[in-house]
Amino acid sequence: MALPLPQGLTPLEVAFVCEMEMVTVIPRQQLKSQDLIAGPTPGLRPPHRASLPLWFALLLKRQRRANILPPPWLLPSSLEKILRHETEISPDTFSPPPPHPHPISTRPAATDHLAPPFLPSSTADAPPGYLPYHWLELGDILLEACSDDIPDADRVRTLLRDLREVRMAKMRASANDLEGGGVSSFKGVGAMEIAEGRQFIVGVMDGLRKLGASREVARREREEDEGGGAGGANSDDEEMEME
Amino acid sequence: MASTTTTQIRVRGRPAHTAGPTYLSYTPDGTKLVTVGSNNTTRVYKTGFDGEPTNIDDCQEQNMGVDSTNDFFVSGSEDGTVSKYSFDTMSCDTFLMRCTLPIRDVCISSDGKWCAVASDELVVKIVGTSDASSMMYLREQLKPVKHISFDPSSKYIALSCTDGLVYVYSLLNDEPELVRKVDGLIRIVETDSEISSKVVWHPDGRVFAAPTATRDIQVVSKGDWENQRVFANGHSSDVTALAWSPNGAMLASAGKDRKIIIWETKTQKIIASYDYANVMDLAWHPTKNLLSFTNADGEVYIFNDFIPAEYANLLKLGLQPAPFIHDPLTETSANSRRQTTNAAKEIPHRGARRGTPDSLDDILGSDIMGDEDDFVVDDDGAGYALGLNGNGKRPNGDIDGHAGPLSKRPVHVWEPQFHQSFQPGSTPWRGNRKYMCLNLIGFVWTVDQDTHNTVTVEFYDHEFYRDFHFTDTFLYDKACLNENGTLFSSPADHKTLATVFYRPHETWTTRTEWRTELPKGEDVTAISLSESFVTVTTSANYVRIYTLFGIPYRVYRQKSSPTVSCASWRDYVLTLGNGSVGADGNTKLLYTIQNIKRDEICQSEDIVALPDGATVKSVFFSDNGDPCIYDSTGTLLVLLHWRTPSQASWVPFLDTKLLSRLASGRKTESYFPVAVADNKFHCIILKGGDLYPYFPRPLLSEFDFEIPLSSNPKPDSGDGDQDMDATEGDELKKLESQFVLKSLLAAQQQDLVDYTKSSHTQRTALARMEVEIDKTLLQMMAVECREGEERGMRALEMVTLLRDRSGRMIDAAGKVAERYGRTVLGEKIREVAEARLLNGMDED
Repeated sequence: MALPLPQGLTPLEVAFVCEMEMVTVIPRQQLKSQDLIAGPTPGLRPPHRASLPLWFALLLKRQRRANILPPPWLLPSSLEKILRHETEISPDTFSPPPPHPHPISTRPAATDHLAPPFLPSSTADAPPGYLPYHWLELGDILLEACSDDIPDADRVRTLLRDLREVRMAKMRASANDLEGGGVSSFKGVGAMEIAEGRQFIVGVMDGLRKLGASREVARREREEDEGGGAGGANSDDEEMEME
Repeated sequence: MASTTTTQIRVRGRPAHTAGPTYLSYTPDGTKLVTVGSNNTTRVYKTGFDGEPTNIDDCQEQNMGVDSTNDFFVSGSEDGTVSKYSFDTMSCDTFLMRCTLPIRDVCISSDGKWCAVASDELVVKIVGTSDASSMMYLREQLKPVKHISFDPSSKYIALSCTDGLVYVYSLLNDEPELVRKVDGLIRIVETDSEISSKVVWHPDGRVFAAPTATRDIQVVSKGDWENQRVFANGHSSDVTALAWSPNGAMLASAGKDRKIIIWETKTQKIIASYDYANVMDLAWHPTKNLLSFTNADGEVYIFNDFIPAEYANLLKLGLQPAPFIHDPLTETSANSRRQTTNAAKEIPHRGARRGTPDSLDDILGSDIMGDEDDFVVDDDGAGYALGLNGNGKRPNGDIDGHAGPLSKRPVHVWEPQFHQSFQPGSTPWRGNRKYMCLNLIGFVWTVDQDTHNTVTVEFYDHEFYRDFHFTDTFLYDKACLNENGTLFSSPADHKTLATVFYRPHETWTTRTEWRTELPKGEDVTAISLSESFVTVTTSANYVRIYTLFGIPYRVYRQKSSPTVSCASWRDYVLTLGNGSVGADGNTKLLYTIQNIKRDEICQSEDIVALPDGATVKSVFFSDNGDPCIYDSTGTLLVLLHWRTPSQASWVPFLDTKLLSRLASGRKTESYFPVAVADNKFHCIILKGGDLYPYFPRPLLSEFDFEIPLSSNPKPDSGDGDQDMDATEGDELKKLESQFVLKSLLAAQQQDLVDYTKSSHTQRTALARMEVEIDKTLLQMMAVECREGEERGMRALEMVTLLRDRSGRMIDAAGKVAERYGRTVLGEKIREVAEARLLNGMDED
């Protein structure tokens, strides 16, 4: 037997993966460039800003060696705008992800293949008004680790909560589309939301598949029966039971 | 009768109304006093006439407010009506307004055109006094308003709301606009309470005062909304009425502790105190030593010679300045001169005051006494300093002969506008705090504690440096901070000399800080600190240079004067001064750069390139040692080739008006320059019309250089599907601006390598920069080639711009042309390559 682990990443794993996101820090003391597996980090000289992986920034923050600059989309004004987009402007779809920083032109370029988790989306120069791929976990981590660096942290917390609820509702509502066999667009959905919704959506799809399979079996039997000239009432009963 | 002053005559109250709230108002010309009360009679007393007042019968009952002009007065009653009465006919003229709920206060603007009405309704209405159909509504407050008051210019109105906030609206536009909610000033009081939360504007219009919950009277400045001086420890119970004297020299307040107190504005001391109970309203006579007040029993007191004789001269003064902790006008007066070119503004009109017989003025003549109030220098032309002359004095020659309105004056003597001195990186006083220095090392700020200041120095790097804090009895007002130490300077006073104080961050001897005094009469205009020298420019136009440990190294007089500012980096010192007058009527700003150690002048009295009317906001050296200037148009200029005499030019590296963050047009923000480092502009973003950063210290922001080439920066549009041509054009534009920027940075690096003992890394950095420029040119060429055959000439021009002399880059260019199939272009490029090879080194 395989391990009884659910499919995909657990929320904990998603949060772990999120820690590779780059964030901007304002150092409070000097630190030379560190050679890490992912490449050297920039040397820190206060008060010059520097981009560091989130896990490293959290480490420095915890030791009070740096302050983390919240990404522009995590400011209350930006979150309010996104919430308005989610609830009023397009109540059916998710708000769009941030635009690609390297516009894709006719010429093929090396940057064309970069996709969200590998693009810096939470540094200080990220565009406001768009939720990046790791918005939920990043927002949570930053609110927990450095609420003193975030202006109006309580407001941000409630706005994130609102956004999460609105989008959860959309996620559940999207299960309606699944019934017809179609898959709704997941453009703009974050990593954590997928990890959370996976169980539910996979469950629904699985259930639908089973229903469809039994229907299929029943249909095939009926066809066979019709071919054999046997009574159809039996199969009808079966269908009733399933429903 | 307990009293702080000498014998007092008990003035008898005149029974004017039946018991109940009673209010009064003097007409602006001072001839009449109107009282309203709880009965249906309004009384009009003639000033100086002791007989029975004129009665206006059949008025509304339970009046809650009255205000008057010379021709009419307005009263508001609890039945919700606001009536206008005429003095000519002594009868009710019209009903201006009817509210559904009781009226609480009425106030007429100084021009008499508008009447603001506060009622128990949530909305405050401002109605035209001559045309009751024109109305303005103030709707932002969430609770009823108890008091209202127009500022002396009638451009602002302050509302004391029952939610404990003061709402200030601007009436400059047709639609009133909420400017500010002032929190924590007044206490929460119900509309029908006797306790007052009234805001009263000082007659000079720059501050207002309001009673606080602690029974003090707090002064708050308009504009930065900071607490200024406070009139404290007078009342032992809540304040019920408050009024400034007409010239602002005194403040009268009445409290539930049965006292009326007269305060002197300048010292916030109590001049006199009287015992009268239940005073509801106070009114100063506009000119005479006469104060009238009403109490809750319906009585009116008309109190002649209210101000004790020893203080009566305070009433004769002209308009007095508001009690600021640091008056923004006197702050700059030390080094500003009177400018009359822009002084054509309205002088606030005060009634002419009769001279006292045999006063000191008459005996001595105007020349001696005339200058006593000249400490307010009217450098922004608002006119209040001129108001000193309302008393028949003519202290200053240039006001002579202007009897008519100022706007109709003949053209007066032209005077040049010149640049004021400033300390780079500092802010003016706001409330009792100011930043003395803000840079990338840290920041220095000071708090005024009345008798002394407390100075705090904080660093960004908490590991390298230790923050410190000290009590400062020298009242330092300028500071510089760098890696080695902190430099302070204090201004000269009547008694004390200007001092300069240097404190190194780390020492290996016990005491290395030093302090030196400037000669008498010399004041510091700007200071700067470098790794090797301390530079002080003074009001005597001297540049004084000390070594880091206080040895006077050099003193010379600056050629351009008055001095404006200075900056220094290593051995280089940059001084700014006013030069000759330019075509726009402003003096030209001149700069000089000297190497102190080598005693060389790099640039002598060269002009700072500024557009018409613009001034310099800050001057500093970048981390690479290039002089930078941030001007009032929001442009960052960097001096190029400044080490060679007369080769220097000012290059705009960033125009903050063209930043893409402002492209949407919705944001209005300005930038406070801090430093240039790492090829980035470090600044503090100021929102909401602020001019200077304030507390808590805002975060530093950084912007990349962006040479202003075109005015359409990439807008922050979310859609990725742009027009193809647009993206290509954008790409080319981006490459072009990169090319210019890289060329400029390479030129800076070249200078640095040529003129200093350059290290190997600096030279390789220069070589790398040149390769980068060529790469950018090749990218631009590739775009041109892709665009089509017809762009070939432009592509060829780019090839000729290539800097590389080895021929590799030209080969690469040929390959690019080949790749896009531009054979003719390829041919031409080969020709260029051959020509270069032939000419070899003797080209250029």
